[in-house]
Amino acid sequence: MDWQPLLLTFKLALITTLLLLLISIPIAYWLAYTKSKIKPILETLVSMPLVLPPTVLGFYLLVAFSPSNTFGGWLNDYLGIRLIFSFKGLVFASILYSLPFMVHPIQAGFSKVSSSIIEASYVLGKSKTTTLFKILLPNIKPSVLTGIILAFAHTIGEFGVVLMIGGNMPGKTKVASIAIYDEVEALNYDVANWYSLVLFGITFSILLIVYLVNGGYLKRFWR
Amino acid sequence: MNSFKGKIADIKTNGSLSLITIQVESVLFTTIVIETPDTASYLKQGNSVTIIFKETEVIISKGIDQPSISIQNKTVGEILDIKKGALLSTLTIDTTIGKIIAVVTSDSIDQLQLYVGEKITTMIKATEIMLSK
Amino acid sequence: MIHIALQKKLTAVQGDILLDINIDIDQGDLITIYGDSGAGKTSILKMMAGLLQADKGCIICNRNTWLDTEKGICLKPQQRKIGFVFQDYALFPNMTVKENLFYALEKRQSKKIIDELIDIIELGDLQDRKPQKLSGGQKQRVALARALVRKPEILMLDEPLSALDNKMRAKLQDYILKVHKQYNLTTLLISHEISEVIKMSDIVCIIENGKIVKQGSPIGIFTTKQVSGKFQFSGEIVHIEKEDVIYIVTILIGTNFVKTIAEATEIQTMSIGDKVIVASKAFNPLIQKVN
Repeated sequence: MDWQPLLLTFKLALITTLLLLLISIPIAYWLAYTKSKIKPILETLVSMPLVLPPTVLGFYLLVAFSPSNTFGGWLNDYLGIRLIFSFKGLVFASILYSLPFMVHPIQAGFSKVSSSIIEASYVLGKSKTTTLFKILLPNIKPSVLTGIILAFAHTIGEFGVVLMIGGNMPGKTKVASIAIYDEVEALNYDVANWYSLVLFGITFSILLIVYLVNGGYLKRFWR
Repeated sequence: MNSFKGKIADIKTNGSLSLITIQVESVLFTTIVIETPDTASYLKQGNSVTIIFKETEVIISKGIDQPSISIQNKTVGEILDIKKGALLSTLTIDTTIGKIIAVVTSDSIDQLQLYVGEKITTMIKATEIMLSK
Repeated sequence: MIHIALQKKLTAVQGDILLDINIDIDQGDLITIYGDSGAGKTSILKMMAGLLQADKGCIICNRNTWLDTEKGICLKPQQRKIGFVFQDYALFPNMTVKENLFYALEKRQSKKIIDELIDIIELGDLQDRKPQKLSGGQKQRVALARALVRKPEILMLDEPLSALDNKMRAKLQDYILKVHKQYNLTTLLISHEISEVIKMSDIVCIIENGKIVKQGSPIGIFTTKQVSGKFQFSGEIVHIEKEDVIYIVTILIGTNFVKTIAEATEIQTMSIGDKVIVASKAFNPLIQKVN
């Protein structure tokens, strides 16, 4: 069995999740507290990957970033960035595709924080940034953790987008889910089964840890 | 609470105490308060004030001839109603200044043999009358 | 000297009300805003703190303009030096008591104030506990201490004691009075307890439907009839019992119960929960030394 697709999968999930965390906190913060009229539009956009077939997203990304197109060509010629059939492109697509899984829990966490706690911090002379890092985020740790895990697990499981924009290049874009598909196509059920088992085991463990941590079971166990 | 409107007729002050005479209808009431015209602006001759006293502080004397007694505040009236209870009774008395309600022990009503329509004197001590604007 | 003039249209359950107030507070005074819920009391504090925008108004605190809608000045909450004690305490759950106090410390401010406050408000035993492990009264004490760390120009308390029982409340009132005097604070308190207002404040503003209807010393305001009786307390009727031809009324004054006699015609105007003044002439009460 070739371990490379599995390693690539986790590398992709890790990088995607890290970048998503950085992007999602400001988006979730804005969505949770804004009174702007364009909030519903942004909320819809963030949630689109939940309902859109992954192939649709992948298809449009493929079209947009194709070097033969204006935008893709500009990226390629001036910035030297080629997003299709590359790992960078996979990361970009994964970020878009897993965005709601990170934004939603964090946004829900922000909304649940009592407004008087935030006001108390402002009244004590603390800026919005200080309040975000010292008060808000520490108090919504479970929500952030949920977001991280969901985004990570969701990235591991994606198939359609990856196939569309990444293709199937060993060591570059061939992730585990595609490798399984390949092996099944080639009737190598044994190998497909191994990939599947490893994916199943790891995602199961990850989710289990989330539920244990958020439910406070681990804390009780340690005491 | 019995309360009647009157006018301040006289003020005698000594230290922080004042003896206030209030005219209610044709009857003069006297009360002593820990206030002086300096500390309470409403204490001014001619000012209208309300005198207040509790029903339980009203003293009843049979007949209308003035008994020799230290109580300065007296007014005569006629008993309109007697509500008798086991220990205490309520008397409603129609006096020259208006209706006064008195709460006295039922025993004293029996002893004095008070009846509706009887003319009596009601009295109230100067230290029991409060003033209100 | 703090000058406050504020106007704002508020949407309440009963319909829209126009909050329109004008208060001047002298340095060192403890002033109470008294009124029913929904009268706009909390909104006044929030506008003072800059947490709520006024439609029109002006706040000048010790010659600094915090708000002047005509000149377009509106300082952020962070720029106004206020101490705010919230109704729900608003302690930071992720920090211990001591960390809550340290969070309030300004850059380059000496840490001495924290030890001092822990001492005055007697938080020594609690300082390493998280807020979840504190009782209501303890949380309120921490909130009070935290509000004082910055040495605010005005301390504002939004019904800080409404959730506490009578004994705890009396104790906290004493803490508030203690720090008010010790730090020569100007304090703005919201309350709907007459006894609390009378005990705590120099001046009370009674607010009804967004307007101040009466303003002055609490005794003068609440003793509407200004009875001359010197033996006078305000309390709340907790029990009325018919006894023969009269009634026995039990009144809660502070933490003490007193009983007094009332006549049938008086009882018609009274019911349990009514706020009343109990007055007697100074000539009647006996004084007896204990021990």
